[in-house]
Amino acid sequence: MKNVRIWFTKEYECKYISHLDLNRCMLRAVRRGGLPIWYTEGFNPHPFVTFPLPISLGIDAKRECMDIRIVDDTYDITQIPSAMNKYLPRGIQVFDATYPQLDPKYICFAKYSAQLSADGVEDKTLKEKILDLTKLDSVIIQKKSKAGMKDIDVLPYIKAMDFKFDNTCSFEVILPAGNTKNVALPLVIKAIENNLSLELNYSITKLDMFTEEMKQFL
Amino acid sequence: MIHLYSKEVEKILLKVQKPGRYTGGELNSIIKDKDKVDVRFAFCFPDTYEIGMSHLGMKILYSQFNSYDHIWCERVFAPWTDMEGLMREKNIPLYALESGDPLTEFDFIGFTLQYELSYTNVLNMLSLAGIPLLSKDRKELNNIVVAGGTCTSNPEPLADFIDIFFIGEGEEVDLEVIELYRKCRNENKSKDEFLKLAAQIKGVYVPSLYKVDYNEDGTIKSFAPTNGAPETVEKRIIMDMDNVYYPYTFVVPLVEIVHDRAVSEIFRGCIRGCRFCQAGFLNRPVREKSKKTILEQCKKLCESTGYDEVSLSSLSSSDYADIVGLLTCLTEWSDDCGVSLSLPSLRVDGFTDDIMSKIKTVRKSGLTFAPEAGTQRLRDAINKNVREDELLKTCHVAFSGGWTNVKLYFMIGLPTETLEDVEGIAKLGQAVVNEYYRCEYRTKGKGVNVTVSASSFVPKPHTPFQWEAQDTIETILNKQKHLKESITTKKITFNYHAANTSFLEGVFARGDRKLCKVLLKAAEKGFHFDGWNDCFDFDAWMQVFEECGIDPAFYASRKRSFDEILPWDFISYGVSKEFLKAECERAYQSVTTPNCREKCSNCGAACYKGGVCVEKRQNMVH
Ligand code: SF4
Ligand code: SF4
Repeated sequence: MKNVRIWFTKEYECKYISHLDLNRCMLRAVRRGGLPIWYTEGFNPHPFVTFPLPISLGIDAKRECMDIRIVDDTYDITQIPSAMNKYLPRGIQVFDATYPQLDPKYICFAKYSAQLSADGVEDKTLKEKILDLTKLDSVIIQKKSKAGMKDIDVLPYIKAMDFKFDNTCSFEVILPAGNTKNVALPLVIKAIENNLSLELNYSITKLDMFTEEMKQFL
Repeated sequence: MIHLYSKEVEKILLKVQKPGRYTGGELNSIIKDKDKVDVRFAFCFPDTYEIGMSHLGMKILYSQFNSYDHIWCERVFAPWTDMEGLMREKNIPLYALESGDPLTEFDFIGFTLQYELSYTNVLNMLSLAGIPLLSKDRKELNNIVVAGGTCTSNPEPLADFIDIFFIGEGEEVDLEVIELYRKCRNENKSKDEFLKLAAQIKGVYVPSLYKVDYNEDGTIKSFAPTNGAPETVEKRIIMDMDNVYYPYTFVVPLVEIVHDRAVSEIFRGCIRGCRFCQAGFLNRPVREKSKKTILEQCKKLCESTGYDEVSLSSLSSSDYADIVGLLTCLTEWSDDCGVSLSLPSLRVDGFTDDIMSKIKTVRKSGLTFAPEAGTQRLRDAINKNVREDELLKTCHVAFSGGWTNVKLYFMIGLPTETLEDVEGIAKLGQAVVNEYYRCEYRTKGKGVNVTVSASSFVPKPHTPFQWEAQDTIETILNKQKHLKESITTKKITFNYHAANTSFLEGVFARGDRKLCKVLLKAAEKGFHFDGWNDCFDFDAWMQVFEECGIDPAFYASRKRSFDEILPWDFISYGVSKEFLKAECERAYQSVTTPNCREKCSNCGAACYKGGVCVEKRQNMVH
């Protein structure tokens, strides 16, 4: 029995499907692609599948992963992408399958690129307005948590936005991600929206995941 | 160019529930170069994505149209209210999922009509697309609005809106009309000329070519074709089920839908002539696919979609002539490759445990029976061939095999029904409960759960009950109450349908052209999703009828005489009116009619010279 980490993209239309739908899609491809997947034992056996860091709806992802367990040690995992892609939509494509090197608990950061716009505001102006926010002492937004509403200061994350030197309002940013601490970029954008009293359109791409030492998650 | 929906749509997708229904891009969806196709067809399903994507007819025609290089068929569904609100707010016209193009860019806008309460969605979808609702306001030879599906068996309530109705099965007639359209366009013909020529094609009904006059009491005085249109419109029917087009692949949705699985259609029609059942009469005679074809289609579909469940579709699957042989050969294949079988419309009597246990629907949801009526007398009157002792025997076998769930489907408001018949429903439910406790080998320590569902009977065109008065809402409510009180055990769960929804369904099912103005007004008021409780507003509907000066009871609650001209009389489904009348009379005498395999009753459908009408009957007992 071996663990296998399957790497895939989730883009275009497929960024609009929920985690549950993604799970269904991937499982279908795993089963029909003939992967010798391990089923849990017990009363209601089901294929053993976990997603180290599930992505939220509405975000494009370039490097997502899913862990499965296979029962046939001689199975050649390099055939996984072609076996599964046959049953996957164009927005979800498997590009690699590896033996996991790190436990998912080591995921600490995720890197995103994002582009913002607001109807009736020039991108350049929008960028300046956002940069102006960094002069504030804090940018607070309320977030629902198990213990009720909680105030969060997203200022450090706005400061971390690395804007492109052009006339667009595009940036890259690295945010805490993982089981212990997780900051969702749409929440940061929501805080900016509230502060600027503007309705923002965004497109976000999750580029990669890293460990605490900023090593790529493998 | 991989994003097919527009930037404007993208901006609202994150603000609606389940955005995955509005994006397209599913596995096996078909993208063509719009500059290289000749005809663009928008296949519109007037309900949500989840429901429309589960519909077999749409899958068949989508694949079939797209199998031609010069046609690009795309899918359109009714956006849910949150999406519709945003689309209207931002002036985003209704678009097709494959190209993201608005419906105005299509040559054909085709609706499938499965349910009367979806009519407002048809109009609402046209309005969302910015297309004029009335046929006469669409003057050019494009945006031709066509409609097919069960409800075209009485197309009249939509006569002012639809350019062309397809009567019967669509595989051939739709394509003939598309070809005629190409020809007319090449010859620069007008829309009117095209419609007149289309009316000559068998299975085509062009409502604008017919003139209706009314008597003072509101009934029809005359119904006359003009411009050479045929007096009787005959249904189209496919006789060779092994060679008719069937898709090798389905679009696999990204989001969960109602029936997310492969489907193989095993036959069309039904040998049983239950007198209330419209599907049974519209689709005569029974035509089967061979085992070989079915197996091959199941294999190909699972291979191309990745589905590991295949459902066998028909009106009454256990009536497939060699059902045991079919299931045996299918389970051999499905066991082998990890696919599970489901049979939604299965009469479980006469099956071995072995076969039953292999069927996923039976395994998962328990046994389902549709006795439809509570007493043998009423079952004879509606010609529903389910006997209490047989039902109990099958339950007994199933209970011994470990099943604990039974679902029983009934109708209330059937012609000739008395309160005694209504009580009979509760009694039959109780008998099933008792049978469980009588069963020695039942699952020990577990109770039984019997679900009794009662829908309200709606008389439908082209059935022996097409002349009957539908029970008024008040009567239905009384019967529901009576039934509820007759059920005394907690082992029975009782479900029933809203009586006022059935009333409205009944009005449109047997309506005439005068109802067009009611629908128009309803559309102007923004009615939509009337089949959904969240949207259905009965009082608002009654208000519309009042404003139009139309009494809905005229259509639903009135008993017609045999010699009245019915709005749908000009359509022939092969079954003669004489046969329907005779069947209606037999109902009142509680006399049953044998099924097509037992004995041919000369209903008229033998005119198609095939299917069960020419089958050799094995047991010539009658
Ligand atoms: S068995 Fe009766 S109710 Fe069912 S499809 Fe056939 S005719 Fe209709
Ligand atoms: S003609 Fe006879 S066999 Fe054919 S459908 Fe009618 S009753 Fe059945």
